[in-house]
Amino acid sequence: MSKPLIVGAVAYTPNVVTIWEGIRDYFAGSASEMDFVLFSNYGRQVDSLIDGTIDLAWNTNLAWVRTVAQTDGACRALAMRDTDTVFRTVFVARTGSNLGGLDGLKGRRLALGSKDSAQAAILPVHFLDRNGPGADEVELLRIDSDVGKHGDTGRSELDALRAVLDERADAAAIGINTWEAIGREELMPGAFEAFWESPTYSHCNFTALPRVPEERTGPWLERLLAMDWDNPEHRPILEMEGLRRWVSPKLDGYASLVEAVKEQGISARW
Amino acid sequence: MVSHGLVLDLVERVGTVARHGTVSVPLGEGDPEELAATVAAWCARSGNELVEVRGSRAVVRRGRSPDPLAELAPDLVPGTRLWMYTNFDCNLACDYCCVRSSPQSARRALGLDRVRRLATEALAAGVSELILTGGEPFLLPDIDELVTVCTAELPTTLLTNGMLFRGRRLEALRQMDRTQLALQISLDSATPEQHDGHRGRGSWERAVAGIRTAHDEGFRVRVAATLPYEQTHELAAFHTFLDSLGIAREDQVIRALAHRGAADNGIELTLESLIPEVTVTADGVYWHPVSADHDDQLVTRDIFPLQDAITEVRRRFTEQRAQATAAAQWFPCA
Repeated sequence: MSKPLIVGAVAYTPNVVTIWEGIRDYFAGSASEMDFVLFSNYGRQVDSLIDGTIDLAWNTNLAWVRTVAQTDGACRALAMRDTDTVFRTVFVARTGSNLGGLDGLKGRRLALGSKDSAQAAILPVHFLDRNGPGADEVELLRIDSDVGKHGDTGRSELDALRAVLDERADAAAIGINTWEAIGREELMPGAFEAFWESPTYSHCNFTALPRVPEERTGPWLERLLAMDWDNPEHRPILEMEGLRRWVSPKLDGYASLVEAVKEQGISARW
Repeated sequence: MVSHGLVLDLVERVGTVARHGTVSVPLGEGDPEELAATVAAWCARSGNELVEVRGSRAVVRRGRSPDPLAELAPDLVPGTRLWMYTNFDCNLACDYCCVRSSPQSARRALGLDRVRRLATEALAAGVSELILTGGEPFLLPDIDELVTVCTAELPTTLLTNGMLFRGRRLEALRQMDRTQLALQISLDSATPEQHDGHRGRGSWERAVAGIRTAHDEGFRVRVAATLPYEQTHELAAFHTFLDSLGIAREDQVIRALAHRGAADNGIELTLESLIPEVTVTADGVYWHPVSADHDDQLVTRDIFPLQDAITEVRRRFTEQRAQATAAAQWFPCA
């Protein structure tokens, strides 16, 4: 029996413990056992991946981009959730605002989430520049709750929505997961409407460095991809982690974030 | 008008607890029914569970609570066994009888037609065993027919004090299907004193004779003792005695005395502490056979359709377990 692979993840909710214990148990007894280590922030996790404390990291898209930058592209992505391949940012405003699209934000105030959230801060600015009036033409209200967790808690996005409800902002940029979590436009009639949805981009992935050879990651990956939504023992883990199946990484989905990080001079750490 | 912040609060607060944990979320200003409906709609959509609305707050569980029925051993799932009180009158007046049966008790018989329909519906409802009890079932002139309609459908156990196996009643016993029927005869001790002290002088001797008769007639015989809880661990002599009667160890059943019916003391059994066993009497459907004479555990007066009664018992059990789990999580120590 080879040494278990040690996977790093960030503890953004107590549920993370349940999720990773479930995943660890799924691998128990297989040819590719694993254990996990929880970090309080992605900066520390990426450091630990690079210094060899952990073998794999469950990284956000920003953590992936930073790992790529810090390893000169030597790292590799092993897998992601099906939902990670089609992530989007949604721009929402009060119902009836009729902003019509990103150009409608010109001269208005847009609430953004944590500065290290790709979906709620970094990419929205990128989209304003590429698809709208330009970020310089919009007043940005930044809500930096939970910096370090790359927006995983969703708290800053909820605070951005509260800012819209309180009329401290005209609109908010949030991830599609938060938009789904609040029930889109259906659970709060008269509260929010979406007026622009971004192209899809990639979100999280399992990241490995060359130090961990494919002889070790291969069987682990094979076992991961075998998790089955229709298997009642696997289903709760998949539901909690927000996917129906694990898939191969869609690397071109990171292009927009790579550009955004470069253009906005985003710090290499956090 | 519902405060729009409610849904945002739900997302944020539920996100801070682990799976199956609960949070209490203030509903905010607005129409209470509309607020509760919003929470229920959000829970349904997000895969979480609204435990209850208490005043101005909603208690929400992250994820769905585990199914209490799935956590039970298969033979304990309510509706797996169906108890039927054939009658309530008895030739004995035991001082701890949980349903207060005696020679003076009204018969309150289920009757052949209802027992036949129950047995048929039980099979369709997924019941795997029927249990007939009383009162003393052998007081009924048609006990052999009652047993026959049951054993025609499912394996059946007949509870008796074993004292009446003579004459036409012995003939009735002999008509019963030995391959489908087990007899469960009450006996509390290896010697007469304790048994007779509760059940009447001479009853021990006749019960032992009944056990021997049933055994000799080729029936599977279980012996069930009802003992004060503090005596339920000192049973070596009793087991040795039952061994000598040829009763298999798995058929030697020890029950703790319940504080129900005629009993002055015993363990307290409540809706909350009992895993239900669907029990039908002439008066309705009860939570458990030990409480078949107590309205606090009456589930419904409607015996038929049996499936509905079983469904209602399971629903109440599931709801009760979910509330108990949530209550345990709220209980503050400081």
